[in-house]
Amino acid sequence: MALRAQRAAIGALLASVTFCDAGSACELKIGAPAVLSGPAAQWGIALRGALEFVAKETVQERRLVIGGTPCTVSVKAIDSKYTAEGAASAMNALAADGITVIVGPVGSPEVTGMKPVALRNRMVAMVNSFARDSIGPRWPNVFHIGPGPSGWAGPIIDEGRKHYDFSSVGIVAPNDQGGTDVAGVNADIFKKKGVGVVEEYYQRGTTNFAPIVTRVLRSNPGAIDLASSPAGDAGIIIKQLRQAGFAGPIFRLGGPGFEEIARVAGGIEVLKDFLWYEPVAMDESLRALEKKHQDLMGAPRPENADFFRWVFAARMMVKAAQAAQSIDKPQAIADAMRKLPVEDENIGKGYWIGQQFFGINQEMSYPFAIGQVRGGKVQDYIHAAAVKEN
Amino acid sequence: MDNLIATGLIGISLGSQYALLALGFTLIFGILGVVNFAHGGFYVMGGYVAYYCSVVLGLPFPVAVLAATLATAALGWLFEMIILERVIEDHQATLMVTMGFYLVMATAILLLFGPESPEFSFPITGVWRAGGAYVPYANMVVIGVCLAAIVFVYWLIYRSGIGRAMRAMAEDRAVASALGMRTRALFPFAFALATGLAGLTGALVTPILALAPHVGDPVLAFSFLTVILGGLGSVAGATVAAFIVGMVEAYAAVYLGGSKGALALFVLVLLILVVRPQGLLGREVRRA
Repeated sequence: MALRAQRAAIGALLASVTFCDAGSACELKIGAPAVLSGPAAQWGIALRGALEFVAKETVQERRLVIGGTPCTVSVKAIDSKYTAEGAASAMNALAADGITVIVGPVGSPEVTGMKPVALRNRMVAMVNSFARDSIGPRWPNVFHIGPGPSGWAGPIIDEGRKHYDFSSVGIVAPNDQGGTDVAGVNADIFKKKGVGVVEEYYQRGTTNFAPIVTRVLRSNPGAIDLASSPAGDAGIIIKQLRQAGFAGPIFRLGGPGFEEIARVAGGIEVLKDFLWYEPVAMDESLRALEKKHQDLMGAPRPENADFFRWVFAARMMVKAAQAAQSIDKPQAIADAMRKLPVEDENIGKGYWIGQQFFGINQEMSYPFAIGQVRGGKVQDYIHAAAVKEN
Repeated sequence: MDNLIATGLIGISLGSQYALLALGFTLIFGILGVVNFAHGGFYVMGGYVAYYCSVVLGLPFPVAVLAATLATAALGWLFEMIILERVIEDHQATLMVTMGFYLVMATAILLLFGPESPEFSFPITGVWRAGGAYVPYANMVVIGVCLAAIVFVYWLIYRSGIGRAMRAMAEDRAVASALGMRTRALFPFAFALATGLAGLTGALVTPILALAPHVGDPVLAFSFLTVILGGLGSVAGATVAAFIVGMVEAYAAVYLGGSKGALALFVLVLLILVVRPQGLLGREVRRA
């Protein structure tokens, strides 16, 4: 009798522990294949930093409440090394941990590697990448944190032509998908605007670009576009272009990273005339977001301005989970996301685009900014409106 | 014509950088019989020590370069004495130990300085120009240091008592020890000399290119390529091969493009190794 009572007591204890656990087990686990090493690490650090911030913000402000229970958010970031195999491996590790909600990765090779794993494991994902097939009908639950170069390259080229007279451009990029896709998109847009194009590709891992610079300058281009060359590479190329005597404007129509480019190049004055895509133009609202990060995390935000885009993306994922009232049903979260308007408290309203370029209307288009260095002096960012599809 | 000359000058600049790196790499193999996979780590460390001394502490650049050379040499000495010496007879173990040490170094640098590149520029910024040809003054300094290093290493290995002792140990360690040569002092010295050269290269080249915790990876790959082409363990071979690699890389990249140029370099190295598996100036058998 005593033994039965003892067993019943233990059973009750276990049951109560289980129920208690179930009561507090509302945890949205976000997985992030993020490049955390190598020359592109700055991008992955921005992604990881944004996710950790949004996780804390969500918990503190009770932004995710499912069935009346406030949920926590945890982040698991794995180094995807800016390679397809690295991202696939990171995604498999995340899948093995039962994580089905993904924010990231950054680069085209990584997105190429992760999409089959996402599809196989029925995950919902919000990716970056400037590849021609970043998203598409084949991967219905993969969303894009655009706009990509197809959206913003045109306005930046137009801005450049206002200030500089050039009729040809040399595009320099790595010779893998992360480079060729963006360079190809940029080349099409330059050509549409009547600018002659010479494309030149280099082996990723190159450290000294002097021969590439010499080759590009043989065609005597009026301008150079560094497309999606990593920030470290772009800095060296600019330094060596200026050493070789190139005096024209330099574009970087391939993502942010201005600070690192300037540091590696040897300073703003070496950049001389430089235009780049900047995810956001800092205003009061974004400064408030920076301050919020400082207050919540006890440290300044990651340096790379892609941090902001990833914050918008992660918040969108949390909003979708909230709308779907689910933390672990990726299909429901994806369905809910499609119905949500593209809007964020800090950047404002945007649009769903992508049908024309990708064949699927799952790219978030927010307002962006054009950065400029003119005559060796940094200019104020130019606000550019969110790109909209007709 | 201008392009031809400009490309040749770039090739010489590249060759001098590769020669500085390859000299140390081949010294370690030639004398100790160790393929040092941590070589890229010493290059990066040299860059960061020079950066810290010149930018953070505000010391003059030559002092920073000297500090980088001495610091990397000291670490190399300690690494050989404390860790490598214990497994020196086991080739697989030396591979694993040096590879592991590289990972430790890279991670330590990442933790100390972060993943982003600091602003670290060569103090001399001008460029010498003649027609279409040009050479940045910083590259001239590297070429000068490279020539001095080659002369010094040759003198040390072939004209000094220490060099004779090291060559004797490379030939037959047991016999050299029996004849009274101090293996325990000379091996760490050879290792320190090589890592000091890597550190010197890092201190001089990273402000010309870029400094980041990962920049040792391609350095290791090119050092390995150069040394294999020249003949593992051959100082003369490494020097000749470094300039061949630099020239081929420059001309192939300029006239064939970045992708085909890289392919052309590796195909050429492959062909040379098919004809001479021991490398350009290497010997067929290494006894130590």
